Amino acid sequence: MRRATAPLVAALLLTGLALTVPAAALEVGQKAPDFTLAAPGGKQVKLSDLTAKGPVVIFTFIQAFTGT
Amino acid sequence: MGVSADHIATLEAWGKQNKISYLLLSDFRRAMLPSYDALVTDEKSPIFRYAKRAYFVIDKNGIVRWIKVEANPLDLLDPAEVLKALKDAGV
Repeated sequence: MRRATAPLVAALLLTGLALTVPAAALEVGQKAPDFTLAAPGGKQVKLSDLTAKGPVVIFTFIQAFTGT
Repeated sequence: MGVSADHIATLEAWGKQNKISYLLLSDFRRAMLPSYDALVTDEKSPIFRYAKRAYFVIDKNGIVRWIKVEANPLDLLDPAEVLKALKDAGV
């Protein structure tokens, strides 16, 4: 019985591991994931619309009004 | 342009108060930040579910040309470093 269930347990463990591995981080040379985000004035801004006009520098910051 | 997880109304007020001339975008729904690996997902962190301090240069073809993620979110990047990255990438 123990021998019969061992592969099943191993498969379940591997499935669990696969589900907990985080997605690969973005790397240089990859296509930047496109996004559409809210901008002041009720506008929606799409990354690909901006890059069509030229290179874009994006910085992400923690929180407004905090100096961070 | 700057992206944070703040509500757009917060960014609008902050940008106005500080006379910020570049684009500020709100990822209040945390849709963009995870795809750039720029969201703090450590529940023990005081800034859990807020953005990391990170920088990305994207060229006109939409290809990532330079990435810098600060390990310490209080570390500010020297603007000259971004300008050098832009020059090196030839974008």
